[in-house]
Amino acid sequence: MSVGALYLHIPFCHAKCAYCDFDSRGLCGRALDEAAATYVAQLERRINAFGECGALADVRTVYIGGGTPTVLGERLPALVRRVRSWCEPVEFTCEANPESLSEDLARELAEAGVTRISLGVQSLDNGELARIGRLHDAACALAVIARVKRLGMSVSCDLMCGLPGQTGESWRKTLKGALAAGPDHISVYPLTVEEGTPLARQVAQDPSLEPDEDFQAVCMEAARDALTAAGYQRYEVASYARPGHACQHNIAYWTGVGYLGLGRSAAGMLTGAEYLELANLFPSQGDACNLACISPDDRIRIVQRNDGATRFDVERLRAHEAVAEDLMLGMRMSAGVSPELLERARALFGPDHVDPTITTACREGLAAWRDGRLVPTERGWLMGNELYGLMWGLASRV
Amino acid sequence: MNTQDTAHIRNFSIVAHIDHGKSTISDRILELTHTVEERDMEQQLLDSMDIERERGITIKSNAVRVMYTADDGEIYQFNLIDTPGHVDFTYEVSRSLAACEGAVLVVDATQGVEAQTVSNANLAMNANLDIVPAINKIDLPSAHPDEVKLEIEDELAIPADDAACVSGKTGEGIHDLLEAIVFLISPPKGDASAPLKALILDSYFDEYRGVVATVRIFDGSVKKGDTLQMMQAGQSFLVDGVGVKRPAEVLVDELSVGEVGFVVTGLKDPAAVRVGDTLTYHDRPCDAALPGYREAKPMVYTGIFPIDNKDYENLRDALEKLRVNDPSLVWDPETSVALGFGFRVGFLGLLHMEVVKERLEREFDLDLIATSPSVDYHVYQTDGTMLEVRSPQDLPDVTRIDHIEEPYLSAKIIVPPEYTGAVMQLAIDHRATMRDMIHLSQKSVEMHFDMPLAELILDFFDQLKSRTKGYASLDYEFADYRPSDLVKLDILLSGDEVDALSFIVHRDKAYNLARGLCDKLKEIIPRQLFEVPIQGAIGNKIIARSTVKARRKDVLAKCYGGDISRKRKLLEKQKEGKKRMKAIGSVDVPQEAFLAILKVED
Repeated sequence: MSVGALYLHIPFCHAKCAYCDFDSRGLCGRALDEAAATYVAQLERRINAFGECGALADVRTVYIGGGTPTVLGERLPALVRRVRSWCEPVEFTCEANPESLSEDLARELAEAGVTRISLGVQSLDNGELARIGRLHDAACALAVIARVKRLGMSVSCDLMCGLPGQTGESWRKTLKGALAAGPDHISVYPLTVEEGTPLARQVAQDPSLEPDEDFQAVCMEAARDALTAAGYQRYEVASYARPGHACQHNIAYWTGVGYLGLGRSAAGMLTGAEYLELANLFPSQGDACNLACISPDDRIRIVQRNDGATRFDVERLRAHEAVAEDLMLGMRMSAGVSPELLERARALFGPDHVDPTITTACREGLAAWRDGRLVPTERGWLMGNELYGLMWGLASRV
Repeated sequence: MNTQDTAHIRNFSIVAHIDHGKSTISDRILELTHTVEERDMEQQLLDSMDIERERGITIKSNAVRVMYTADDGEIYQFNLIDTPGHVDFTYEVSRSLAACEGAVLVVDATQGVEAQTVSNANLAMNANLDIVPAINKIDLPSAHPDEVKLEIEDELAIPADDAACVSGKTGEGIHDLLEAIVFLISPPKGDASAPLKALILDSYFDEYRGVVATVRIFDGSVKKGDTLQMMQAGQSFLVDGVGVKRPAEVLVDELSVGEVGFVVTGLKDPAAVRVGDTLTYHDRPCDAALPGYREAKPMVYTGIFPIDNKDYENLRDALEKLRVNDPSLVWDPETSVALGFGFRVGFLGLLHMEVVKERLEREFDLDLIATSPSVDYHVYQTDGTMLEVRSPQDLPDVTRIDHIEEPYLSAKIIVPPEYTGAVMQLAIDHRATMRDMIHLSQKSVEMHFDMPLAELILDFFDQLKSRTKGYASLDYEFADYRPSDLVKLDILLSGDEVDALSFIVHRDKAYNLARGLCDKLKEIIPRQLFEVPIQGAIGNKIIARSTVKARRKDVLAKCYGGDISRKRKLLEKQKEGKKRMKAIGSVDVPQEAFLAILKVED
């Protein structure tokens, strides 16, 4: 067997941003170098182990995320080549922060086979960038977008709304500046305050820093208007792309395609059958998920818990829960969910549950029918949790 | 254990400002007298309920016997009586103090005399107790015991030259304190050969033994096999056993004059044994009952509803189980259009309500809604009949009301003179009128007010404490019913009246309260998919309004491989949160909305 998508996690940054709750350590200089050497060696062993048993042969998309993968420097292109030695992905994304993607590194990544760079631009207002602890400024971000384009890679920008001190005016400027740089893809995220982050502590002291949801709604609408007018298509609640540049890897996440996640905190998703086949590569998962209780059509999500890949959290979803999850994720996308998926849901949950849920979603203006598919409405984008909650709620109906 | 002559008995309670170390000193006394061995010590040994330990408050009274061998070589029997510490339990406190001859007044050596030190000293002095000052926490570097002694003498007019300097933490000085208790607190008086006269301080229920009463013997004695009678409640019973707490229960042959202990009544109805009642022999009663008895009547009524109507029967069972150890609890079924089936429950006060609600939720795993508190109104109808109304929903149509009377209290407030102005203003805001004011000393003034009970139950006590920086002490008793211009304030959500949010209020306060309540509800009710107008109305007239704006954005925009499980759990949590809210029409209303009235600021 082989999965369709592969994710690699690089848990290092030069400095952690105030809002970030991803698994990453802020390291520099020799400390970073030593930690990275050990970490990458372990990661490559994992890649080889999966490669050797054929699990990577059909990988179509690869995504190296973090953290900030570009802090690995020279080690990053080597890692890309290591992956490429086992598969021939059509899309190979690497996350990067503007300040750590030098001309040389960008070129080496392109040569090693990276096809797409996802840049953490966040804002083009230097005050806003400083307040959330970013290490780059607007000029640097714009220069890097141009650099990546010049090297022939596809480029995506992450932008954030609801940042401390952000105004409608500054948001429009950020959008305008980003569009002028002409990336192939733009993601728009409302800032969320995650527990345990420096931002959460700041907000606890000064509640005015809490992102205002009304303002974020206005920003999300402004982004939709500006980006669609400039020829970008919204294919997911937060994702806009020029034709042909939608992120295939992310679409895999939202459409139930199996994926492997390697590296600390990386998550993978396999069918029960695939998991049983690869069980010896996920050692010592404890009694929590007894292999004997796994059935082939379960959905297994595995999160690596340490650097050495000796501890994993394993979550088992039954077939019906997997379908509810697919419905939930499907409603994040413009394409919505297919009639086939809905039929499968009806078969598992019974039409008595599925159809009233759909009716509720439509009545509340969250979803609508388009060409036989159930798709989110404008309101369904902004009030997504209501819609996703309805869909996932089906799982508890069995 | 042998019966003791009264000269070797000391009955006392320990009083202190919060955090001045009352519990640790109690714990050390138990330890030093070998009542409890060190290894068995738990903190706050005398507070047995979880809620008591968590909140650091005492709800139930407790009496523990300690045997102390003094420096004079004699063995003394100390009965340490722990008292409730809140105005809701004023009556219970007064009965506990009536069982004592003395009080240990604990003052923190680093903080000195504080507000509650003053109000507790007042309570103890009013009960004619001998006061033993104890200066605690002398182990701390910032302790200044000599200055604190001067404060005690200056501010409380209590001699403090010989005050015991102690550390509840290290045990230092506890021995001196025990000696001071022997010397400064009077032994109990009483006639050992007279017919039994005993005060019931508290009672608790035991599945096997029925009601067990905590008593203080004023005259005579009691032993297993005696037939006793309760002079107020009238019921008789055969004593199944007598004993003392050390702090575990120990049976003794006899409890005699001056002693404190428990009497096993065998009675199965917890309500038959009432705090403040007098126990005597059935055949040879004492001359008169002890003074100060009053029936523990509920002061305040609130609706208690299960969020899930399926829990109605469970709620009834839970209330019945709680009542076994809290006979003051009373209830009647109540129906609400908004909340379904529940009960109108009577409480001694709002803290009592909170504690009961918390216990119901915690010990019986129920999700509950408590509605606005109400007093017992007397509604005189045009047909000449009188209706007792404890819930705004039961108020008849205005056209059928001749007039309404509400319960009034006589309240006694003791404060330092500099706060009399603040207290007067607070009283005016709460529709109280001052009867008189007595200067007790240079440091304290006693003010007497007539005030509606309805004003007291809301936030009067908290405000009194905050406006006098905690120095005021409050005592009150029911006075009479008086006519008042009262109206029913209704609240409408999305245009529909929500009966459970209605409130009976004086007409002069209705407008401000309606505005305050609409604003408070706007804060409490979360934004929903659609706009929710909130209106306050008297009859058909809208007198206040506010609006909960529709929620515009609620989306977890970032959701990749590693996020999916987490985001799913977040959705589940959101759904759980909604379940704990009450859907009224299409509006999800959180539990605390129904008590929003308590959070409205003047």
